[in-house]
Amino acid sequence: MERDRLQSHARPARGVRRDRPARPSGPPAGASEPGASEPGVRDAAPAPAADPAVAARAPDPGVAAPAVDGAPAEPILVAVDLHRRYGEGDVAVNALDGVSLQLPAGAFTAIMGPSGSGKSTLMHVLAGLDTPTSGTVTLAGTELAKLDDRRLTRLRREKVGFIFQTFNLLPVLTATENIELPLKIAGRPVDVAWRDQLIETVGLSGRTDHHPAELSGGEQQRVAVARALITRPAVVFADEPTGNLDSHSSAEVLALLRRSVDELGQTVVMVTHDANAAAIADRILVLVDGRIARDETIAEPQQVHRLMREVR
Amino acid sequence: MLALSVRGIAERKLRTALTAFAVVLGIALVSGTYLLTDTINRSFDQVFQTANEGVDVVVTPKRLFSIGQQGTTPQPLQSSTLTRVRAVPGVAEAAGTVFLPGQIFDKQGKPLTATGAPMFIYGLTAPRFDPFVYVKGHRPGASDQVVLDSFSAQRAGYRIGDTVRLAGKGAAASFRLVGIADFGQASSLGGASVAIVQTPVAQRLLQLGDSYTSIDVAARPGVTPPQLAARVREALPATAYTVRTGSQQARADANAIKDQLGFLRTFLFVFAAIALFVGAFLIVNTFSITVAQRTRELALLRMIGASRRQVLQAVIGEALVLGILASAVGLAAGFGLAPGLQALFRAFGADLPSSGTVIEARTVIVSLLVGPLVTLAAALGPALRASRVAPVSALSQAASPPSGRAARRRTPLAGALAAVGVALMCLGLFGSTSGGSAAGLIGAGAAVVFIGVGLLASHIVRPLALVVGLPLQWLRGVSGRLARENATRNPRRTASTSAALMIGVTLVAFVTIFAAGLKSSIANAVGAGLKGDLIMQSAAITQPVPAAAVGALAQVQGVRTVSAIRFSKAIAAGAGRPDVTGVDPATIGRVLKLEWVNGSAATLRTLGAGGALIAKGYADEHHLKVGQRLSLTTPTGARLRPLVRGIYEQKVSLLAAITLTNAVLGRDFNVAGEAFVMATTAPGADAEAVRARAERQLASGYPGVKVLTNQGFIDEQSSQINQLLVLFYVLLALTLLIAGFGILNTLMLAIGERTRELGMLRAIGTSRRQVRQLVRYESVITALIGAVLGVALGVVFAVLVTIPLRSEGFTISIPVVELMILLAVAAIFGVLAAIWPARRAARLDVLRALAYE
Repeated sequence: MERDRLQSHARPARGVRRDRPARPSGPPAGASEPGASEPGVRDAAPAPAADPAVAARAPDPGVAAPAVDGAPAEPILVAVDLHRRYGEGDVAVNALDGVSLQLPAGAFTAIMGPSGSGKSTLMHVLAGLDTPTSGTVTLAGTELAKLDDRRLTRLRREKVGFIFQTFNLLPVLTATENIELPLKIAGRPVDVAWRDQLIETVGLSGRTDHHPAELSGGEQQRVAVARALITRPAVVFADEPTGNLDSHSSAEVLALLRRSVDELGQTVVMVTHDANAAAIADRILVLVDGRIARDETIAEPQQVHRLMREVR
Repeated sequence: MLALSVRGIAERKLRTALTAFAVVLGIALVSGTYLLTDTINRSFDQVFQTANEGVDVVVTPKRLFSIGQQGTTPQPLQSSTLTRVRAVPGVAEAAGTVFLPGQIFDKQGKPLTATGAPMFIYGLTAPRFDPFVYVKGHRPGASDQVVLDSFSAQRAGYRIGDTVRLAGKGAAASFRLVGIADFGQASSLGGASVAIVQTPVAQRLLQLGDSYTSIDVAARPGVTPPQLAARVREALPATAYTVRTGSQQARADANAIKDQLGFLRTFLFVFAAIALFVGAFLIVNTFSITVAQRTRELALLRMIGASRRQVLQAVIGEALVLGILASAVGLAAGFGLAPGLQALFRAFGADLPSSGTVIEARTVIVSLLVGPLVTLAAALGPALRASRVAPVSALSQAASPPSGRAARRRTPLAGALAAVGVALMCLGLFGSTSGGSAAGLIGAGAAVVFIGVGLLASHIVRPLALVVGLPLQWLRGVSGRLARENATRNPRRTASTSAALMIGVTLVAFVTIFAAGLKSSIANAVGAGLKGDLIMQSAAITQPVPAAAVGALAQVQGVRTVSAIRFSKAIAAGAGRPDVTGVDPATIGRVLKLEWVNGSAATLRTLGAGGALIAKGYADEHHLKVGQRLSLTTPTGARLRPLVRGIYEQKVSLLAAITLTNAVLGRDFNVAGEAFVMATTAPGADAEAVRARAERQLASGYPGVKVLTNQGFIDEQSSQINQLLVLFYVLLALTLLIAGFGILNTLMLAIGERTRELGMLRAIGTSRRQVRQLVRYESVITALIGAVLGVALGVVFAVLVTIPLRSEGFTISIPVVELMILLAVAAIFGVLAAIWPARRAARLDVLRALAYE
């Protein structure tokens, strides 16, 4: 039933999901009520319109910069003039060729683009998995270039959540253990209430003691979503999260991501080449040849398809 | 297909190298052993050729059988024999010589060599027969002069003019060093020490009267050595003398030594076999993992038309190439190992000669044959599994190796194997076979048990990993937890990886327990079996205690009763070749507690020259009873028919199977020295004070003996056992090393398989340190599983193997501390084996790991 509700929420929610959850990090009781839609005209560059909810909901104390009520939300992720070159000389490839962007907290951004456009590289650089050849990335107030491997690891541990195309769960651990894994690695205590809430939200109650091999692809990816959210990260990066799923499971997972944004104020960055998946985001960045070709706020799926056609 | 095999090896250089290492080590031991023993043998050939150069015919007393280093020598040749030989037509010159074990003392008054290489006293012979080349000074020209071989002189730091003390069967005497000699071209006589004195001096030292140990004969021109030998043989009674030409004698002497050295070769080959056996486990494991990982690749081959046979050939081919390469490297490594082995034996007191390196064709052939055979045998199973990969696996998502009927039949088969192994061991232990074949049965049984337990181990990996892994989990949290899970992810793989270590640990545990049992048995035997307080023995194990020293000990103030024991061996008609001890019936009862099965203290009084006492075990084995007569042939050829007068319990192994009187051993066995002398002290006397006084008083006349309290004797025996134990540890460390490489290899392969997982772990915030821990703990858990199994198996083996020794007073004691240390050492091996894989896992590039397919 939980799943049904999620799904029914996911599909028709086009116009609805613009609303920012007026709820500071509280439980998502009652899910999001459609209504009070405020077609979010959120420009990419400057900080979004004043939105107290964003400020109030700090996923992790000290992570979201704007803690003062009423102050404009600082962008949680800022990239300035990113270049990433692979190889040397003639065979050098510019995967990123001057990308700048600002993502406000609580935004759901899709990065799209044809194969080889640099969208994966962009995500890796933004997440601190890859180092740009030049340019800077500031994630939750921390400039990544200044971090050594140890600090980068800690930053990933505390401020970043990952969702992979291939789920990447540990086969030896149960669903619950996989969800708790990032906390265990960090040596942090498990907030049992939060964990159970996540398990319920992703619809895995009753499946918690199963090992990944005993779960369907969709279930595995929902475990991965819960794992990404367990640390209340500043940003969740999702790399083709629906790439290995059937359409039904895809819809479930996308709805989950959407809910994490709407109800928890989670910031999500998703790389995808699936226009239907991208359509669930608030904003789409289209990369072509390592540059941002389009940066649009979207209202309806058709817009995404049109966008992709234009770029191609 | 062969090209594919070669390509496979070339592409997986690291794994190939790690796998090959096991074979390399095993083969290096094989070739090193051959090289070393061949070289030693040739050195001895040269020694004896030199010794018999210029000698056409040699007359020696007939030697019936060899009885080891200490104790008896055949009856010497009387001077009348020399006279008869000189009278034989065609003899140009004949001279008697003396060449017998004796003692040479260093400047501190200690025997020049305490263990290993023997020391000899040599009576100077006619110049034409003398094998020595005097490089400094001159031949001994007076009765107080001595010449030493240059090796010994150098080692002891003696210079011409120094005083050197020698002892034969009596008290020690001083001589002046007048020369230093080489033995032919060599600086030593095969590592032995030789003191050259005038023949009458040697006869006096060795209490030979005017007799000799051999007679060298030179032929007149025109008479060939065989002709002369025939004539001499005619002139002497055949029963008492052996007549050989010089070259025959050289061969005979060399063969006698080679027989003794054969033990060394066997000893080393056992370790080579163990190394190869452990290596085989490693190869099975590596190939199994490789085949599992390449399932899709192999299926693809099948899909595009490769036959099963071709797939089989590809894997077998890879094993063959690997085996040949590894054997070639191992053969070469043997050249480096041979001097190492020799140095090892030298460190443990066995100084063996070697000049140049002898490379027999057989060394090369055996090395290059055994390695590939072992590799092939080990790779056969995985190769067959590879050939059963279904073509359709190429299309399936999860690449899993086929698990056919074999997998289901595995457990009962493994159980049956373990049972058969134990049965084989029992057959060897309790069956009627003896000596070498029994040892072979026990060894083969143990090997089969190892295979069986190695296969069964997959069932106990999980609980064992829980036991050894839980502490890690409690201490280290998630790294420990994941390490434990990873270790049990593929129980069969973990089982066979740890099984390799298990073998080494079993053997180490076994020798440790055995040695501990031996030590406690000696302590028990001394405590329960001795009434005396002091024990006198020779400082050099190759020498007996001079008989005269017994009287000297009795004179020491505080010493009450002194009783000596002599050792020899006899051929008993229809009852084997029992060890024989000689006792002094008048005093033995006062120093030794005898447990009578049949007889009493009074039996000793009636023993006399015609009586014998026998051990219960020997009596039972050959169905002997009191009142029967034994039929014995002594090493001198004398025939005795002693009457069995009593039967004793052989709890104290000081007494052998048959006990006669010392007088009989002196007369008919030609035993002039004592193996042990026991003494009681006067009531109220402090044993240690008496011991110190005795040693002080005996030091001038008998520097070669030492006096110990019972505790001192126990300590000394223990330290000798410990020394031997270290030798075993060093050789078994090779096995542990191979097993460590096995763990390393498995970890590397596992990390390869789990690249993407590691990438994910790193992405979500696992530090490099945590990744290293993860790998390290998995390694430690694997190692500890092997160690726990090994210790358990070692205890079982030790208990089993020592059952037949119980009747001889062997008590088993489990050295808990040592075994705990062994577990710790295994854990350290795990940590060491993980260093490289852990570093590699930690260094994985996160992005590339995530993209890894």
